[in-house]
Amino acid sequence: MPEPQPEEPHVSGGQRSAEDGAIASTGLDGTMDLATTEGETLEKGLGNADAGGPADKARSLWSDAWRDLRRNPVFIISALVILFLVVISLWPSLIASGNPLTCDLAKAQQGSQPGHPFGFDGQGCDVYTRTVYGARISISVGVCATLGVALLGSLLGGLAGFFGGISDSFLSRITDVFFAIPVVLGGLVLLSVVTSNSVWPVIGFMVLLGWPQISRIARGSVITAKQNDYVQAARALGASNSRMLLRHITPNAVAPVIVVATIALGTYIALEATLSYLGVGLKPPSVSWGIDISAASPYIRNAPHALLWPSGALAITVLAFIMLGDAVRDALDPKLR
Amino acid sequence: MTESTATSTVEPILEVTGLVKHFPLTQGILFKKHVGAVRAVDGVDFTLAPGETLGIVGESGCGKSTVAKMLVNLERPTAGSIKYKGEDITKLSGRALKAVRRNIQMVFQDPYTSLNPRMTVGDIIGEPYDIHPEVAPKGDRRRRVQELLDVVGLNPEYVNRYPHQFSGGQRQRIGIARGLALRPEIIVADEPVSALDVSVQAQVINLLERLQGEFGLSYVFIAHDLSIVRHISDRVGVMYLGRIVEIGRDAEIYDHPTHPYTQALLSAVPVPDPEAREHRERIILVGDVPSPTNIPSGCRFRTRCWKAREKCEREVPALAVPAEFRHGAGPAAHASACHFAEEKQVVPPEESLDDQAEGAV
Amino acid sequence: MLLEVRDLRVEFRTRDGIAQAVNGVEYAVDAGQTLAVLGESGSGKSVTAQAIMGILDMPPGRITGGEILFKGRDLLKLKEDERRKIRGAEMAMIFQDALSALNPVLTVGDQLGEMFVVHRGMSGKDARAKAVELMDRVRIPAAKERVRDYPHQFSGGMRQRIMIAMALALEPSLIIADEPTTALDVTVQAQVMDLLAELRRELDMGLILITHDLGVVADVADRIAVMYAGRIVESAPVHDIYKAPAHPYTRGLLDSIPRLDQKGQELYAIKGLPPNLMKIPPGCAFHPRCPMARDVCRTDVPPLYEVTPSDGTRVSACHFWRECLDDRVDGHVNG
Repeated sequence: MPEPQPEEPHVSGGQRSAEDGAIASTGLDGTMDLATTEGETLEKGLGNADAGGPADKARSLWSDAWRDLRRNPVFIISALVILFLVVISLWPSLIASGNPLTCDLAKAQQGSQPGHPFGFDGQGCDVYTRTVYGARISISVGVCATLGVALLGSLLGGLAGFFGGISDSFLSRITDVFFAIPVVLGGLVLLSVVTSNSVWPVIGFMVLLGWPQISRIARGSVITAKQNDYVQAARALGASNSRMLLRHITPNAVAPVIVVATIALGTYIALEATLSYLGVGLKPPSVSWGIDISAASPYIRNAPHALLWPSGALAITVLAFIMLGDAVRDALDPKLR
Repeated sequence: MTESTATSTVEPILEVTGLVKHFPLTQGILFKKHVGAVRAVDGVDFTLAPGETLGIVGESGCGKSTVAKMLVNLERPTAGSIKYKGEDITKLSGRALKAVRRNIQMVFQDPYTSLNPRMTVGDIIGEPYDIHPEVAPKGDRRRRVQELLDVVGLNPEYVNRYPHQFSGGQRQRIGIARGLALRPEIIVADEPVSALDVSVQAQVINLLERLQGEFGLSYVFIAHDLSIVRHISDRVGVMYLGRIVEIGRDAEIYDHPTHPYTQALLSAVPVPDPEAREHRERIILVGDVPSPTNIPSGCRFRTRCWKAREKCEREVPALAVPAEFRHGAGPAAHASACHFAEEKQVVPPEESLDDQAEGAV
Repeated sequence: MLLEVRDLRVEFRTRDGIAQAVNGVEYAVDAGQTLAVLGESGSGKSVTAQAIMGILDMPPGRITGGEILFKGRDLLKLKEDERRKIRGAEMAMIFQDALSALNPVLTVGDQLGEMFVVHRGMSGKDARAKAVELMDRVRIPAAKERVRDYPHQFSGGMRQRIMIAMALALEPSLIIADEPTTALDVTVQAQVMDLLAELRRELDMGLILITHDLGVVADVADRIAVMYAGRIVESAPVHDIYKAPAHPYTRGLLDSIPRLDQKGQELYAIKGLPPNLMKIPPGCAFHPRCPMARDVCRTDVPPLYEVTPSDGTRVSACHFWRECLDDRVDGHVNG
């Protein structure tokens, strides 16, 4: 139904102009009456200065997005949470003095007590210390796998979508094949031959099975963006392929990839847990939220706290990344400003 | 309309000969098999004189937009040539192509999809200078962009705004400013006003006319609205199923059409005059345009033509001045691809303007 | 009167505020009459039609006042199930985009027949026979064979005919056609408009034709109502309006379109842009764009003045309608 939205998009000058005023006060005088009302939708006329934004230095999407993000509380909170998580996964001893591997079976399943605020798990290990130390593996698996998947997937999918033809058909068939592989079964087969107890084989496995998901989305959104006239316009100006991809297609195709990738991040952390539980991922003495969650789940009735804390940490981490992705996506869309 | 615009003595700035574009139809998932072709453009010839406006009209699917895309090199022709000042631009690539592209620019139909929503207006209009840095030194670009905004009637202070903050008409002005940035000689405008509101269309048409005078531009103006095409064009070509069926000066085409398709098209246009509806003759064509994958033999219009005879099925009519008009110098003596061309007035001439139209030919 | 809209008001709640889409629309259609509602995007012409049909999305839309009298009953006071009975059976709508208005996974025969199954309780077989009959009526060639085809197998013009057939199925007394030919080519447009006009005569229906195309209006309408910013600015018999518009907006529209039968000089262009519905100018909504605006136009909302001399069927919402009328009569065209 086209009518209700006012068809003529309106210059939302209030907010912008007020901000401009803080940066460069030049040129505001003539348009003061229009710029004073914060967030107000302005009538604009043709050409002549009835709704003029002050002329300050040239802007770009990225600088505008950054200005936007800095003022977005969702972004600030999620960025702080993620920063905190990164710091403790690099230096866990900053906030946890114990050793995650020092366990005392005598204290198994005991609840919170002084010096051990989260209580003890089924093996008598300190849940607080283990939750803090577990961040390292969970975060590195989640972040590295997501980055790997997003980069590989959007590169392959994006190029296939942009160039089309045989390479596209070929890639599409390959992604179909990968989609047919059950993740858990694939993990059992592929990771069972790996003997090293490090995160890299796990990450590699996730990237291997995860990229087709992103590549399919990237391909679709690149094809959609490619069909827009502004890409044709750039081509008609003589723009190179790389310019069209970087300036015109990527910024307009990146949103769905960001959304899916941030959601996938949570599933990768959970998948690491599943694989560990099945005995093909990381094995104790490694410490990860996944290992702890699966180890604690049999005792959920007797010691729910041992399950609750690592799960809670996982949930907060996933939520923070999703919120971050959401904020970045919105900031990259000028229409929402 | 002045006589000087289309005389044969002037060297044409653009000469299109035998232009063909077939899109192959394929089947198969990995190995594609050709199963036919969409004959979108199937042999188009025309010339464009400097400073002239050539209008191309036709219904959807007639291939007019594909012609536009080939003129600005967005599509490679299957056959034929496009000569810009004598040089065939369809054979060019790399640097030579880029140089020619500077001189032939395009204005797109849809002002909502032709501007990148994630670029500021300044970046959009300035992009031509990024691609062709030799045109404007870096420090000069911002000033030039603001100048262009001013030229198209927008506030030069709008450079940092995004396209969605503008109305359709204003966005089309931004698109025009981008087209002008490299100071081209030819602008190909593909339905530049059809997405705009009636009251805004006139503003944009007036702007295009003003810019033509100011910058000495030649226009190829593609549209389905016959009234707008008449208003802006010096010469008009009528396209049907991938070919031009009739071409001539605007008065020749509108007041003295000889091709039955042109006549039907003109008679079908609603005229904003309720008095006219009683005494206007309407030619209502039967059926729909045939599919461009399966073009009728002989004359491609014969399946809908009330005059079609056996000859039309056998022989493809050439686009030339029909034999019966060849020796007269009257307004009917213009190229028309019909075996049985005859003059028929379908647009009632207005008394006051009739003289003017007659005087032009 | 078949349908009478009185002082209809509709607003929309949006993220940025309240958009006043319709601000006191008045118009009326009689049986056998064609009323053209002319306006640009955002003028409220489609919203009014949706309110009449009862297909307005509420929320975000909200009817804040007025009456819609259909055969003497105020539709706005009826319950939803009573309105549903009227919809389709007594009034029907034809949309601009026939492809999206038809269900792509059902054959056209099924979609046409459904009307009879639902409203008339017919068997599937009878309904199909009715569907073929309807397709014949809107002159779709080889209706018997094509009744099993899917919408995408028809051309644009044929799909619009199917839409018309659906609207006509239950022989309603009022048809609302919202830009029925905008998406079609000229030659096909002429076919469809002719068909619509013919069927209207045959069935003695009232027709509300919503359009922005002044040419189409001149060809088929009996009366014209011109809308701007959610109000009627002028309403008159079609001949009067084209001969001498009594509102500067109508005059501007007529002057700004290029004509097929004349080359013309520079086009008259209405300056500025249609108003923002969240912030409609005070007084006469058209005053910021009006060449004859004076102080009173900035403060006083013009009522619908009766334009004389006429038989009382002509109104204009301009304080200076008399001057506007005279200007044109004097041959002043391009302001």
